[in-house]
Amino acid sequence: MLSDTPNLKEIEKKAYISYHRDGLLDIFVGVYILGFGLGIFINILWESSFGSIMPAILIAVILPLWIAAKRKITMPRIGFVKFGGQGTNRFMAVLLGFMVAGIGVMFVFTLALTQRPEWINVLFQNGLIVVGTASLAVCVLFGYSMGLKRLYAYGVLSLVLFVIGHFLGVFFAYILLALGLAIISNGAFLLMKFVRKYPLQGGKALAD
Amino acid sequence: MPTNNPGIQNIDRLIHEPARLTIIAQLYVIQSADFLFLQHQTQMTPGNLSAHLSKLEEAGYVEVIKEFIERKPHTALALTSKGRAAFKEYLRNIKQFVEKLPE
Repeated sequence: MLSDTPNLKEIEKKAYISYHRDGLLDIFVGVYILGFGLGIFINILWESSFGSIMPAILIAVILPLWIAAKRKITMPRIGFVKFGGQGTNRFMAVLLGFMVAGIGVMFVFTLALTQRPEWINVLFQNGLIVVGTASLAVCVLFGYSMGLKRLYAYGVLSLVLFVIGHFLGVFFAYILLALGLAIISNGAFLLMKFVRKYPLQGGKALAD
Repeated sequence: MPTNNPGIQNIDRLIHEPARLTIIAQLYVIQSADFLFLQHQTQMTPGNLSAHLSKLEEAGYVEVIKEFIERKPHTALALTSKGRAAFKEYLRNIKQFVEKLPE
């Protein structure tokens, strides 16, 4: 045991990963991206700026739903944990990151439709590649800080989709819809796996 | 236990037991958790986990928190400040002990 003193970082990481292997985070992030794409369609189809506030509305709707789903699905199966300090900071970082990224991109998009300054034109000429690269960076950053390796895959997927979209001339919102659907699908797959692995019996979960 | 390394005397035997060390390390990295979560993380049987938690609670290292989640009573377990300090001390002592071992 002496050479086996606990690796606290590893223990914390494992606890954190086990709490997020239910796929709920993926489903809600996917829904957020999907809603973000729909917001762009609303802007264009209705010539309204309502879609610009979609990311903020989505956060307000998604967060309580995510907490409720955690309590109904995850808690009865693997128990409840409060991470406090670092864990909470990590989670808040990922939420804030996605929120800021969403609002930022929507703002740039709205600005481009109205004023179109010079630097926006340059960005827009390679817009999809810029967004794809930024998505990869965000996913790698949060994947690393949260210890969730699947975020790397989402980053690579978004880069690939945006680069393909750039060369094939696919509209930005379609790529968001595809990306959102892909992440939701993976989240749903993880959720099914999780529910099968930790079935409920009489309101309580079976042990591993 | 005969030894010429005096550091061994300072090691908290209550924490040093592998099962309790696992529990206390789990609780150290989080704010609080319920019994089910600890059971999954430590891979212990309910009886075993319960017995070790009782010993840690008796020593004042672990506290039982009664709370309400969505108006339902919920019991969580957390490390007390005494338990946190004892674990930090344990880690320091074990490190010193290992460092003083002859190569």
